[in-house]
Amino acid sequence: MKYVLYQLKRHPLAIIAILVILGWIFLAFAGPSLLSYTYTEMDSTFQMAPPGVNNHLLGTDALGRDILSRIIVGSRSILTVALFTSILSTILGIILGFSAGYFGKAFDTLFLRSMDILMSIPPLVLSMVVLGILGDSTIASLTLIVSIAFIPATARVSRGVLLSEKSQEYVQAARIRGESHVYIMFAEILPNTVGPIIVEATARFAYSIMMVASLGFLGVGLQPPTPDWGMMVIENRPIIADAPWTVLFPALAIASLVIAISIFSDFISKVLIHER
Amino acid sequence: MNDNILDLKHVSVHYETFEGLFTAVRDISFSLGYNESIGIIGESGCGKSTLSYAILRYLASNAKIEGSVHFKDQNLFELSDREMEGIRGNRISMVYQNPYSSLNPSITIGKQLDEVTIFHRGLSKADARTASLEALELMNIGDGKNLVRRYPHQISGGIQQRIIIAMAILARPDIMVLDEPTTALDVTTEAVILDSINDLKQKLNMSFIYISHDMGVINKVAEQIIVMYNGEMVERGPKEKIFAHPFHPYTRALINCMPRGGVVKEKTYLNTIKGYVKRRGDLATGCPFADRCEKKTATCEDDYGIREVDDGHYAACSRAYAEDVQSPPTKAFHRNSVTAATQQADVPALINIEDLKKVYGLRRKVHALNGVTFSMPAGTVLGVVGESGCGKSTTGHIITGLYSPTKGKVEFKQRDISLDWRKRDAATLREIQLIFQNPGKSLNPSHTVEQIIARPMNKLIGRKNKKERREEIIQLLKTVDLGGDYITKKPKEMSGGEQQRVAIARALAINPELIVCDEPTSALDVSVQASVLNLLNEIQEKTGTSYIFISHDLNVINYISDTILVMYAGFVVEFGLRDEVMAPPFHPYTEALFSAVPDVDPTKKKKVIELTGALPDPSRKVKGCPFASRCHIKIGEVCDKVYPPKREISPTHYYYCHADRSSS
Amino acid sequence: MNSYLSTVFSKVGSLLATLLVISLIIFSLVELMPGDVAQMILGQSATEESLRELRQARGLNDPFFTRYGRWITGVLRGDLGDSIYMQGVPISSILWRKVGHSLFLALTAFIIFVPVSIVLGVIAGVKEKKAADSIISFTGLATMALPEFVSGVILISIFAVRLKWLPIVSVIPIGQTLFQNLDILILPALSITFVMFGYVSRMQRSSMIIVMNSDYIKAARLKGLPERYIIFRHALRNALLPTITIIGMNMGWLFGGLIVVETLFGFPGMGSLLMTAIKTRDVPLIEACVLLITVIFALSTMTTDLLYGYLNPRIRFKGGQR
Repeated sequence: MKYVLYQLKRHPLAIIAILVILGWIFLAFAGPSLLSYTYTEMDSTFQMAPPGVNNHLLGTDALGRDILSRIIVGSRSILTVALFTSILSTILGIILGFSAGYFGKAFDTLFLRSMDILMSIPPLVLSMVVLGILGDSTIASLTLIVSIAFIPATARVSRGVLLSEKSQEYVQAARIRGESHVYIMFAEILPNTVGPIIVEATARFAYSIMMVASLGFLGVGLQPPTPDWGMMVIENRPIIADAPWTVLFPALAIASLVIAISIFSDFISKVLIHER
Repeated sequence: MNDNILDLKHVSVHYETFEGLFTAVRDISFSLGYNESIGIIGESGCGKSTLSYAILRYLASNAKIEGSVHFKDQNLFELSDREMEGIRGNRISMVYQNPYSSLNPSITIGKQLDEVTIFHRGLSKADARTASLEALELMNIGDGKNLVRRYPHQISGGIQQRIIIAMAILARPDIMVLDEPTTALDVTTEAVILDSINDLKQKLNMSFIYISHDMGVINKVAEQIIVMYNGEMVERGPKEKIFAHPFHPYTRALINCMPRGGVVKEKTYLNTIKGYVKRRGDLATGCPFADRCEKKTATCEDDYGIREVDDGHYAACSRAYAEDVQSPPTKAFHRNSVTAATQQADVPALINIEDLKKVYGLRRKVHALNGVTFSMPAGTVLGVVGESGCGKSTTGHIITGLYSPTKGKVEFKQRDISLDWRKRDAATLREIQLIFQNPGKSLNPSHTVEQIIARPMNKLIGRKNKKERREEIIQLLKTVDLGGDYITKKPKEMSGGEQQRVAIARALAINPELIVCDEPTSALDVSVQASVLNLLNEIQEKTGTSYIFISHDLNVINYISDTILVMYAGFVVEFGLRDEVMAPPFHPYTEALFSAVPDVDPTKKKKVIELTGALPDPSRKVKGCPFASRCHIKIGEVCDKVYPPKREISPTHYYYCHADRSSS
Repeated sequence: MNSYLSTVFSKVGSLLATLLVISLIIFSLVELMPGDVAQMILGQSATEESLRELRQARGLNDPFFTRYGRWITGVLRGDLGDSIYMQGVPISSILWRKVGHSLFLALTAFIIFVPVSIVLGVIAGVKEKKAADSIISFTGLATMALPEFVSGVILISIFAVRLKWLPIVSVIPIGQTLFQNLDILILPALSITFVMFGYVSRMQRSSMIIVMNSDYIKAARLKGLPERYIIFRHALRNALLPTITIIGMNMGWLFGGLIVVETLFGFPGMGSLLMTAIKTRDVPLIEACVLLITVIFALSTMTTDLLYGYLNPRIRFKGGQR
């Protein structure tokens, strides 16, 4: 703990990043009740109003909907999906990667082959096609598909950290006292790999946001009327020359969240892995 | 002008760290004369490497240096970076501990050698290559022309280190600094390299600074010795004087701690230093060794300082210990004569191994064991000795069930246990335990000592009651000289010696009948090794547990074993009672191994048998004698073609050789 | 050298095997798509009779593997089938031009981000913990997970909306080719560059740091070689190797990014074609686009793999010690 504070003092950017993340979480929970407009309300007198007009802090879109309230409500779905995605893909990655690395041989070859195949379709293309085919994405289907698209990445990281631990003598010591495979993988090895795995999971969080936002942008994310940051950008893209704020503010919202999480994950890796 | 080529005055090195300022080297002054060789000795973390890098002014960015280093008449600490480049590798060159990682993997050997003369002597590419080939020849590396075209990964460790030394002499430097150059190598390879270093000293006019943790190695190459402890110099003087009259108790301990030629467990209790090296605060004063010294007085704190005790001999301890130098404290053990027990043929063997073979890998095969046969009676210690890759660890691992044998039989108490851990019953798993080489790695870093020891008790002997178990664990920790408060510690919070004690306690916790000790002391510092050996010995005395003790160190094996098994390239080459194996006639490999072990007595000079040639390729089956390619007494073609016959010297002693050595 | 050739052959073999499995996966994925192809072609007003006839004619009632076999042999002959949405236009007649556009865009981005990220990554690695490193590292961190449309929107706002230097959309006027409108490439290429820069420069930086702290660089310094020579001759060669792999692996992100960027800018490429195909549920077109993206991606990964093997002497000259 003392070490974390020492590192925080040396990385002021990390403090800002943590504050930004906490800020978004707070807005997602409490935001809508603080606002004067709901996200579906159409202000027919102020369409495409610039920021500040008639209490629309960030302006309105072509239908006269309040950008700020749409951004704040949109933060809920993206944070939820990204959080569950990073957790799910990490857990699936640990299970798959650990088993492959631990049992090795044919099982590992099979694993590597299938990961190669899964990886040979770019993750965004894969999730976009699948979601497009299934149609009408929900939070659950979005989470599941994106997690599957991320499995090659997370499973490879888990497999890597397992392999570096597997040859350690404490694992051999556990073997020759007859421990079960599950005990060795999860009681002996797992506690020693939490550092890299947490780092990977936080980085995965940033990538999940990137992915979910891009899917929303491509129109295969959550369906209207739920506001979605990516969707807001593409919806208002045609009026960018006349009302740039309608596009810029959702984009900046994504940027602030993604950058803050990236910095946070970088900080976590410094604390947990590098500078020990 | 100055008589010395190098003068260090009050050199200190401090590091700024998370925990504050840390002093790695404190106030060191010494001089190096022309054509002189100085050996710096100390344990890991004593600052000897930091000191050598400080001489070349090559330290991490958070380091601060004080004092001065004068090379000829230049103060190296005041030169510009550009001027330092002209000194490094040119006037002062360096050889490092790990040859493999010190060579650039993507550049050929030849180019890496040529660079030195191209930059420092302005030679053309062709001339530089000629100079490189000359240097390789000077290091007795045959076929230099072929070698220069190769990449580092295509060359063995011993040759790599000789290439690095060749690189260090290319610019004909005035000083060569060698930082543990042979620590990563086998004894027989080490002997060859030490010899060629001594050769260089005679051929080229150079001064040497040789850093090592091993008194025997220092004895071979140095004329002057500096002893360092915890960042400070505690003693300095000519080699003969230091070995004959060590003043500082730490120097004494270094010389006497380890079992040396002829010291055996029945007669001697090894000399030890209590406690462990403690990190000292920046402001601490007095003798750094005081907290571990048995004879400390008030003067250790008040009147501390290095002073001349004899002509050219300096020590930081004022009290002479001359009286008990030659005889390390001995303590006669009341041992039953185990040797007698081993000779009784009717006693059933505890372990019986027949024609054990192990092949690793499927596509690229490695023949690790090629038919090993031996047996050992209960209640004894079997020492297994050999160099890296000889199959000694593999043998131990198969016995403990870590791997199953490819072929052959392992019998334990007349039971066939040629199975791996998956198929063994709980009783066998309990009866055979393994102690690993690296205690830090064999204990799970995220478990506490209590969890570590409790798990096998719970699993293999059904000690489920938590409270009773804890009592038992505390008792065990006392047996291995650790306090009961250790149960809550994690491995990271302990020193290497303490960790190995916990590993021993874990093995003892379930009353095994056989403990396989796989190099249990080689990762430890000299002063700690001795106490762990004493502990293992005492436990064996008390409980009658059998050990299979695996080590590369012939002295350790000689000290602790009742019977000795010598292995080479996956074969048994010699087997017998300790005293039989340690005296002639020998298998030629045993003989070479013996001659290569560095001594700590500068008055003794022994002839080293230099092994040339390469080890047999482990990916192929050996046809004739495995040692034929390096043997110094090879009698002819028969050695290459036919596996040598077993020659029995006595009912308990035999070796495999075509040459009959009993007459010579 | 022979062993290297044999690795080339085995790589090509496994590539073909992968593609075969992938084509099967793509085909069965699209099978899952709700809706009836015949209905889609003929529209809602079609009679049951005409639907049955069409199904018969197109072999839609055949077993799965028969249809897959027909499709894949067609693909191998260069016949990608007909687009449904575009009223039976052969796909190959529209696809290749768009693929050409996309590849040209990808190449432009590649030419920008590879040298920039490597050079800046190396600088950051050499000047570890200095000001230059902090700036480069922070930029890399910030752009690493930034979606392409976010950086694209920011670029549009600055260069197209505010400064009016470049067009807001990247469409090619009818009757003209891409080469007459090169200015439309700049903003899309830059948007892709952002993400790639983040990832590649950070990887380059860390591999440079690892190399600069290695024993052999220490040894080279203690040999008294000049720092500049050490960086260029000793360090770079080893530090570039992992970056090659990283670039290869990230070609996948780049193709994902292409779709996003093409959609944002309305650029007439493969990505926006795939988007249209998905929105209009044009089965043969989806299959063709995904298969093609996979082929291109797999080829680029294999190329980087082989390049890595060729540049690394430890792989090129296997054969162990002695």
